[in-house]
Amino acid sequence: MKIKKEKVGQTFHATRSKMNHLVQAYREAPWRTQRKWIVLFLLGTVSVGMITGIYLDVTSRAALAGREVQVLEAEIADNQRENADLETKLAESLSTSKMLERADAMGFVPATPEDVDFMVIPGYFPPQPAAMASSDVSGHSPALDPRFTQSLFGWFDQQLQNAAAH
Amino acid sequence: MRQQFQWRSLLLSGIFGIVSVAIIFQMIRIQTSPQAVSLRDQGDMYLGEYQTIYPPRGEIFDRKGHLLAGNQTVYEVGVNLGELRNPQTIALALNVSLGMDAAQIITALTKAPANQSYVYLKDYVPADKAAELENLKSQFAAQNTGGENAPSLAGLTFKPHLARSYPENDLASNVLGFVSREDRGYYGVEEKYNDLLAGTPKLVWIPSDPNLAEQMPEVPGGSSLILTIDREIQATIENILDSTLVSSGAVNGTIVVMDPKTGEILAMTSSPRLNLNEFWKFNDTYPNGAEFNRAISTQYEPGSVFKVMTMASALDTGTVAPTTTFFDPGYYEIGGAYIHNWDGGAWGEQDMVGCLQHSLNVCLSWVADQEGNNNFYSYMQRFGLGHPTGIDLAGEASGRLKLPGDDDWYQVDLGTNSFGQGVAVTPIQMVMAASAVANDGRMVVPHVVKSIITNGRQYNTPTQIAGTPISAQTARTLSEMLAQSLERGEGVVKVPGYRLVGKTGTAQIPGPGGYLDNVTNASFVGWGPINNPQFLVYIWLEKPQSSSWASQVAAPVFQRIVERLVVLMDIPPDSMRQVVAGQ
Repeated sequence: MKIKKEKVGQTFHATRSKMNHLVQAYREAPWRTQRKWIVLFLLGTVSVGMITGIYLDVTSRAALAGREVQVLEAEIADNQRENADLETKLAESLSTSKMLERADAMGFVPATPEDVDFMVIPGYFPPQPAAMASSDVSGHSPALDPRFTQSLFGWFDQQLQNAAAH
Repeated sequence: MRQQFQWRSLLLSGIFGIVSVAIIFQMIRIQTSPQAVSLRDQGDMYLGEYQTIYPPRGEIFDRKGHLLAGNQTVYEVGVNLGELRNPQTIALALNVSLGMDAAQIITALTKAPANQSYVYLKDYVPADKAAELENLKSQFAAQNTGGENAPSLAGLTFKPHLARSYPENDLASNVLGFVSREDRGYYGVEEKYNDLLAGTPKLVWIPSDPNLAEQMPEVPGGSSLILTIDREIQATIENILDSTLVSSGAVNGTIVVMDPKTGEILAMTSSPRLNLNEFWKFNDTYPNGAEFNRAISTQYEPGSVFKVMTMASALDTGTVAPTTTFFDPGYYEIGGAYIHNWDGGAWGEQDMVGCLQHSLNVCLSWVADQEGNNNFYSYMQRFGLGHPTGIDLAGEASGRLKLPGDDDWYQVDLGTNSFGQGVAVTPIQMVMAASAVANDGRMVVPHVVKSIITNGRQYNTPTQIAGTPISAQTARTLSEMLAQSLERGEGVVKVPGYRLVGKTGTAQIPGPGGYLDNVTNASFVGWGPINNPQFLVYIWLEKPQSSSWASQVAAPVFQRIVERLVVLMDIPPDSMRQVVAGQ
């Protein structure tokens, strides 16, 4: 019974060894090696193609964006010039000489002191000089914000004074 | 068999290897050859260009926000040689449209250096002319049959940019100054504030390759200015000056209107004026550049208007009082010379109001002599005479006040200086000095810029007090004396409802060999209303022909100006103001 078991084991090992040889032979078959290289080559080609495609896509998008920036900047410059032109044309249309001509044509004459009657209107404030800037009108010359010039001690002192005031 | 193929493959490999090495060698040789360097340089020319971005020049407004100096689009015309097809057509079109020399254009286009891609032809072409040419270019392009000699403006380019523009033409030109083609301000505010108005240009690389395009750097525009000038008052005094020059026959004239409390110049003009949009006519208009604004840059002997300062100093030192009397015998000896009155007459006993009313040189010489050299000249210096006022306009002259100790000063100068001879002043110096009398002794520095707008913020310029040469009491006393002398006079200045202060000045004009005959400078300084002065007016007419006397040519001008000022400035009559003040 023991002998029979040994024979079966030897047969199994022999078969297994044979199978291994076949697999090895299959793996090292020339056509299989060639196909492997072809696949690797194709993989590389596809990768390079993909990278190239992505690069071209990004580059073209950047080029389009750059061109758009250039066009927008040109438009901004055009608008600034047009704005200046319109402002000047408006000022020309409302210039003193033109207004005088129009007033003359409409039959107006310059008022004399005798033509003017003054009335006292409570709460009336005469027209103020022009304020052209959108921000607050400052009575000081251009200067740095105090935060940029204030010393640490100065700031601390101010904080203490503010706290005391409150 | 195998060996046979082996040597063949070796041979082929060798050949291919040698060819490859040769190709690589040739590539390197080409890349490093002088021609390659030249080609690379040529290529670099098309990579992009450095452009200086000039920020738009700041605008200038009057005190009510009316635009006095702005910007408008003009074009630089040039030719891209790469697109050029027919130089003759371009030359002909520019000759007809812009008046350029056709032969010069053809030479410039056909004989341009080989490496040049663009030829500049003309700048500052107005927008309408550029549009006309562009339209013509489009028409030729549409009709182009492709023939070699077919008319074509291909290659003609128009580069837009902003240039200075003055919508009011010559209004306030003496104050504004102008901007040259190099974008530099000359005279007036444009020169004084040139750096502020022009902003800071930036050199920027503009790539042709859109891949390299980046956002343009922020180039902040120049600061804008709001002037103290009131456009309506300015136009009024210019009209009055123009008509006065015609009626009086004066060679030139100057008028300044200032707020005596703040030093704000409300209007300033002198003749001639220049259309600032045609600044290239400057040399024809002003053979001598100092005449651009006579109010600040031309000095002259003012004559009797100077007596205001003499009397102010005498009152302030207590040398005289309004009631002090002086017997005028018709002459006064000082420094070995005799001073006479304007009419050569003797006016007998006069109080100080009478001396001012009749503008007696003899009396004022006596007053100055009583005051003494030290006091008199000390006060004249305190009034700022002999020094620039510091007005914020370019080209101010300092005048000349001779002082004791100077090589050319003599004792007689005290006498002549007292009535405005032998002293050189500018109208603006007289305005500043007179402001001390009109403003309770406080003398203000005249200025024309009210606010500076920069980075969206408006900064107002504060009033500057130049000093207090006389006391408030002296100022009020002298104002009253001058008002009385004006009222007691021949009534040449009367604006019903308003009490005014004023003094005439008729001065001989010095020449190479002494004073000239039959020509004078007629001046007038005045302000009002007396109890709350809101305007101070100075008038100077040079060599008037209709009359030599300021009382006849300059004083009526003051009256005309005041009649308009009280309306334009909404100044109620004295009686109404007293009612309002009493409420």
